[in-house]
Amino acid sequence: MRIAKYLGKRLLTFIPLLIGVILVVFVLVRLLPGDPATRLAGNFAYGDTIAALRESMGLDKPIWQQFFIYLGNVLQGNLGESWFTNKPILDDLIVRFPATLELITLSILFSIAIGVPLGIVAAIKPKSIFSRISTGYGFFAGSIADFWFGLMLVFVFFTTLNWFPAPIGRLDLTITPPLQITGFLVIDSLLAGNWNALMNSIAHLALPVLTLGLINVAPIMKMTLSSMKEVMESDFINHAKVLGLSDKKVMRYALRNSLPSIVTILGVIYGSLLGGAVLVETVFGWGGLGQYVTQALVNKDYSAIQGFVLVATIFSLFIYLFVDLIYMIFDPRIKF
Amino acid sequence: MLYLRDFSYSLRRNRGGFIGFLIIMITLLCAIFAPIIAPYAPEEAIVEDSRLAPNSDHIFGTDETGMDVFSRVVHATRIDVTIAVFGTLLSLLIGIPIGLAAAYREGLFGEITMRIADVLQAFPVFILAIALVSILGNNVQNIIIAIAFLNAPIYMRFVRSEVLSIKQRPYVEAARCAGMSNLKIMFKELLPNSLRPTMVQASINMGWAILLTAGLSFIGAGVRVPTAEWGSMIAIGAPLIITGQWWSSFFPGVAIGITVLGFALFGDFLRLYLDPERR
Repeated sequence: MRIAKYLGKRLLTFIPLLIGVILVVFVLVRLLPGDPATRLAGNFAYGDTIAALRESMGLDKPIWQQFFIYLGNVLQGNLGESWFTNKPILDDLIVRFPATLELITLSILFSIAIGVPLGIVAAIKPKSIFSRISTGYGFFAGSIADFWFGLMLVFVFFTTLNWFPAPIGRLDLTITPPLQITGFLVIDSLLAGNWNALMNSIAHLALPVLTLGLINVAPIMKMTLSSMKEVMESDFINHAKVLGLSDKKVMRYALRNSLPSIVTILGVIYGSLLGGAVLVETVFGWGGLGQYVTQALVNKDYSAIQGFVLVATIFSLFIYLFVDLIYMIFDPRIKF
Repeated sequence: MLYLRDFSYSLRRNRGGFIGFLIIMITLLCAIFAPIIAPYAPEEAIVEDSRLAPNSDHIFGTDETGMDVFSRVVHATRIDVTIAVFGTLLSLLIGIPIGLAAAYREGLFGEITMRIADVLQAFPVFILAIALVSILGNNVQNIIIAIAFLNAPIYMRFVRSEVLSIKQRPYVEAARCAGMSNLKIMFKELLPNSLRPTMVQASINMGWAILLTAGLSFIGAGVRVPTAEWGSMIAIGAPLIITGQWWSSFFPGVAIGITVLGFALFGDFLRLYLDPERR
């Protein structure tokens, strides 16, 4: 009941935000120099062809009306057509979505598995060498460019050691991909019992996951460290210690109370990774959303860029919404 | 003078901050004296010298077209630091006054500006940057505008929340009783006392701006290719990684890392230095 009520209230702020985002995306493309109909018709079109095109595109209507037409289209899932692939943009995005989602999900799981324990240990033993290494690592990972780091991993683990496959795509060309069910290659090959594809897709995933994972360990670790530290210094933890509770129990109390801020940073990172992975996807020839948008950039395929911006933003908005829900479950004091 | 002495004393006592300050100074010197430091011109391609490993003539080696990587890394500081500095300055110039006004005049104006900031910050940063630059056209000026646009809401929020908390303080009320005008109160009393988090963030954002510029250039949405810029240099070297010529991507990436680290360390020092309670 509490959740339903909260969800209702949260959606009330969510919808205007969504409309605002769509408005910005609409305005962005309107900022383009020149007339869209002229651009679409090409250099050699006659005046009446352009006029007809203008009418069919709704460009003769006032701008606010055009926005509502666009809004209506978006709500129906019509993001326009890519003039490069000649397919509806939403279809293009859906085909490429699982590749990116698989990559960023595994990356964030990797970062959590390393970042959270590191942060906890560093918070509990603030004077130890361990805590210093963690802080240093935080600065280091926060300063390097992820795409560069990916290239360096390729140099060490592919070019020099040859432990992992070449950074081209998600599977070797010689391997038959499993039947597509979820679009996650690891899960699909498990379901199909296709061991070759499973091992190969994991090998292909290893370096990009390591790249994104190791970089994103830093903010997760920093957040865990700072929120744990704050909780460890609070009165109720002191009280628990004075009462003689075991270290393990004290730690568990502290962790539970720092979870909300850890979950928040996880949400922020995960939500921004869909777009943030663009560069790393390019390095590894991943064929996901990131590469789609870089290709669209090169081809000046504006409606594809527009569609991607919209989808990536809506994805992150949903992640934030989800994070807020988890937040509420973890922290019963929050009443909305 | 006293401020300066105090600043240098605190800086020398904080090892991280000192290193950060040193890195920033060296980067600035590189940018100013690039033509003197660099042995070759940044876009001078000697075809017969292409793909040379680091040696005594080319200490960072040469890239695919025979351009000297060291000279280009040094020259690139000019463009990367310019973008970072002007992008950050412009976002401060936009964000601070709006944040100040939004806090001073709560109500409809404050509410509307906050909602606009909400919408702008709902976008994943890199994606919005790509969209802006692809639409405005990719050149240095538009990257600066994109960075300003992306960062301004951050400063706006910082200034606004600080001003909201200090505008009730007695000294502000005293200023009003003394008959100071609204503008004078805003700029003489509220602004100087609300800039601490903004200054810290500005230093960190300089680093972000460099990472963003490099990222945009890497996928071809930023500075165009022959221009010496760290991200586009990494892009030029990227295909060579598989064939084993690591140097033409490696060194520009190291330059990015060191510079961004410098700004982050200095920002961390500023946080402590400007905190009146911790000193």
